[in-house]
Amino acid sequence: MRVMRAEPGRFTDVTTRSVGAIWRAYDLQLTTYVVLLGAIGLIMAYTNSVESGESVLRTGTTFTRALMWSGIAIVVFTLATLFDYRWVKAMRWPIWFANLGLLVLTLAVGTGVGGSSRWINLGPLTFQFSELAKILMITVLAAYLGNREGRLDSVTSILGACLLMGPPWVLVMMQPDLGTSLVLVAILGGMLFMSGASLRWLLAMGLGALAAIPIAWTYILRDYQKDRILSFLNPTADTQGAGWQVFQAQITVGSGGFLGTGLTNGTQTRGEFLPVQESDFVFAVLAQELGFIGAFVVFLLYAALLWRILACAWGSRDPFGLLFGAGLASMLLFQLFVNVGMVIGLMPVTGIPLPFISNGGASLVTLAMGLGVIQSINIRQFARAEW
Amino acid sequence: MVNDTYLVAKPERDRRPLRFVAFGVIAILVFSVLTTRLAYLQITNGQTFAARAEAQRTVDEAIPAPRGLIYDRKGRLLVSNVASWTVKIKPSDLAFGRRLDVAQRLGALLGMEPSDILATLDSAPGSRFDPVRIASDVPERTARLVSESTAELPGVLVSVETRRQYPDGPLLAHILGYTGPIDGGTYAQLKSEGYQQDDMMGKAGVEATFEEQLRGTYGTELVERDATGRDIQVLRTVEEAVPGSSLRLTIDRTIQKEATQALKWGMKAAGLKRGVFIVMNPQTGEVLALVSLPSYDNNLFAKGISVKAFSKLIKDKNKPLTNHGVQAHYPPGSTFKLVAGTGALQDRKITPSTRIRTAGYLSLGGSRFYDWNRAGFGMCNIYCGFGHSSDTFFFQLAGMLGADRLAYWAHQYGFGRPTGIDLPGEAAGIVPSNQWKVDALGQRMTGGEVYQAGIGQGYVVVTPLQLINAYAALANGGKVYRPQLVREIVGPDGKVVTPFKPDLIRKMKLSQATLRTMRLAGRATVTLRHTYNLVDMPVKVAGKSGTAEFGLRDAKGRLPYHSWFVGFVPRNPHRGTFRRATSELVFLAFAYDSRTKGNAGTEIAKAFLQLHFHIKKDYLNHDLLEKGNFYRSN
Repeated sequence: MRVMRAEPGRFTDVTTRSVGAIWRAYDLQLTTYVVLLGAIGLIMAYTNSVESGESVLRTGTTFTRALMWSGIAIVVFTLATLFDYRWVKAMRWPIWFANLGLLVLTLAVGTGVGGSSRWINLGPLTFQFSELAKILMITVLAAYLGNREGRLDSVTSILGACLLMGPPWVLVMMQPDLGTSLVLVAILGGMLFMSGASLRWLLAMGLGALAAIPIAWTYILRDYQKDRILSFLNPTADTQGAGWQVFQAQITVGSGGFLGTGLTNGTQTRGEFLPVQESDFVFAVLAQELGFIGAFVVFLLYAALLWRILACAWGSRDPFGLLFGAGLASMLLFQLFVNVGMVIGLMPVTGIPLPFISNGGASLVTLAMGLGVIQSINIRQFARAEW
Repeated sequence: MVNDTYLVAKPERDRRPLRFVAFGVIAILVFSVLTTRLAYLQITNGQTFAARAEAQRTVDEAIPAPRGLIYDRKGRLLVSNVASWTVKIKPSDLAFGRRLDVAQRLGALLGMEPSDILATLDSAPGSRFDPVRIASDVPERTARLVSESTAELPGVLVSVETRRQYPDGPLLAHILGYTGPIDGGTYAQLKSEGYQQDDMMGKAGVEATFEEQLRGTYGTELVERDATGRDIQVLRTVEEAVPGSSLRLTIDRTIQKEATQALKWGMKAAGLKRGVFIVMNPQTGEVLALVSLPSYDNNLFAKGISVKAFSKLIKDKNKPLTNHGVQAHYPPGSTFKLVAGTGALQDRKITPSTRIRTAGYLSLGGSRFYDWNRAGFGMCNIYCGFGHSSDTFFFQLAGMLGADRLAYWAHQYGFGRPTGIDLPGEAAGIVPSNQWKVDALGQRMTGGEVYQAGIGQGYVVVTPLQLINAYAALANGGKVYRPQLVREIVGPDGKVVTPFKPDLIRKMKLSQATLRTMRLAGRATVTLRHTYNLVDMPVKVAGKSGTAEFGLRDAKGRLPYHSWFVGFVPRNPHRGTFRRATSELVFLAFAYDSRTKGNAGTEIAKAFLQLHFHIKKDYLNHDLLEKGNFYRSN
């Protein structure tokens, strides 16, 4: 009879295990769903790049950029899988400071529309470090909370997590990027919830956050953000102005019908009735061209992916693994709900990308990194007998 | 189970299974909500949204129909359609705050005043979604510059349209007229006839009178548009455009040129400001030439006339925009003696051999009515009276007829009401009768006024066209035709839609003998040398000259006057006779305010005859066209 240790002991290097054991631990299903979603993302990038008489493969199209980012994502995914995730636990403070540094850098030299600073130009490409911040914060929080296993019921753990999230959240808000900051809140809430923290304290925190909304409305939200929320609340009031996007998105989705118009046949997109059709509103194009059937299949893929991530979290003997999976699942579910909900008129317009499908290198690479870590966790869970 | 428990109780671990279940439930809820909403949008309301998407991306657009062309009677092209770059503004796409900025930028590119652009924009009829024409006939380079700076010029559109081009410009401006944009006020009415708000339509001349035949019918095509209203592609043609019909005029461009040249020569030699020359075929009512000077270049209007150029034309006191042959009336003077002569003969007040005493003047009610020849001509029959244009002779004929019989014969010849020529704005002229005088001035005609009316003075005013049409009736044996400008209307398929048919207004109720007498009296005008050396010319002419006083007396008590000549030649101009009513050429010269020594109208008519019949010898009396209010001849 051995005593279970709260901390994992010195572990055997993955290379000492048989290839077969690693392969059995590797979640092939998860990879399959990720690849399928990525493929749908590429297909949507293709359909949004088609213009009469022009090759979709010429430089600068959404499709060629998506192809390139997909290649980078595959490399990142593979590297993250091979990398022993347990090292990052030790590196949580350097990671936290690096994240903060990147966000400060974004504020300092970043570019964006309308006076915002969201992207950093990396040669011909741009990169949105707030996307990376999501995964880095999941990592840091998972390491922090995992380290406090046994004390997670206390309010100090909750406050500690909030204190860790605070500075990056403020920096993201300053960009301003409401969407990403909401995702960060969802990640924090999801991880605390799944960690098993006291519901009473969580509820108290939640209510406190709700109470802060009027203050945020007055002092933090920009006018365009308020417009978007108001137009969501009353979308038909101003179909030519702020409600235009919401209204056009619903027309686009609705006109797809059950079977859709077929790829590249989306009439709404060709006429550019739909703004940001390749990024935040890509789901509208998908729903029009692939129809209800196509959108439903995409939902099924997301559900299956979530299931695999939760299974990994559940199966992890390491609290870090559990919490990392919980954070990633929360992020995916929240982004999916807010993005699709925005397109079909259930949620206000916020700049939150649809995972895998919205065009955006940072989002894809970040997801690849997170899912790579999940696989890394999967293949490094040792049979109980070894302990 | 000991193996699976921790040493210390850890409530968070115990809660986790439930939290995972809760997360799963939330995820299932999220997917259910999204799927339900998606089904509501795509399955329940899919048709509705598809229709909305269709409605907002497609639009019916009009396909312009080419306007019909216009040819002269010999088939020479007088009007063509040429491509022209047009700059328009769609007000709905121009934010109010950017109006001034856009007007300034566009003004700089087009060389227009920004205030003019804004004024055009504000005065446009129709809705904010109808493009307003700012400039037509823009050079291609400028058009390209404008279309390249669409980013700085929101709402500005550049398009290729066709516009009218009149190769002969002023030569035919009064006949052809011009096209111009629709007036704001009339659009509401024209819309139901299928006009577009930025359409062009005929504004003057046959362009206006035959607008319906020339304009054609718009087609329709279904066009796909993007969110900004820019066309993406034509989906299909709903209805083909039908080109307008073409006109073949009765005008002979060669004769028009001869008439213009003769009139210009006379006007220059005599220093005249206005003149008219008309040539007709009396057998059909066809107008072969219709010249009114000064003229204008109708291409200015077709290109979109500037406010400055237009106000210059409007302010010109010789009224170049007015067709003086049709749209203005003047006292006819002695040419009107045709009416009293015809009436007196037909009413049997005189016979061709009746001789009447002429004198220097007649007295009536204490007033003296002078003859132009203060010596008189002694005893005179109709040939002598008409040939020498004796005023006292025709005072007496008018007195014999009385105001109402004189008016009756004037109306028989077509005076006093528009002839019905295919031109807009025709004047009616005035034929004074007792009824007319009572209506206009509240009393009957006096004897002196009847005298004046007999010699084409006083209240009588006629348009040059009415006058030539009356002489055409004399020349053709009493048939008053409606003067026509269009010989044939030819459909877009090249088939004649409306062939030419003379349009008889009236067969005059008189004997051929009466008209024969009047034609011979007209010949006497020439043979008695009242028209100087006209008789020496190798073509035979019968006709009448006229000098018509108008306006106010000068310091010496003299009145300014117009001079006329209206005449015709036999079918065989060189050897024919005026006994038969077979003339095929009647012509009229009108010289406005001609204070010349001789009759300028006669000299201009001679100049025309020399050109038309290729007479090498010069019969023109340049000295008679010198200034000087000395020679008076009726």
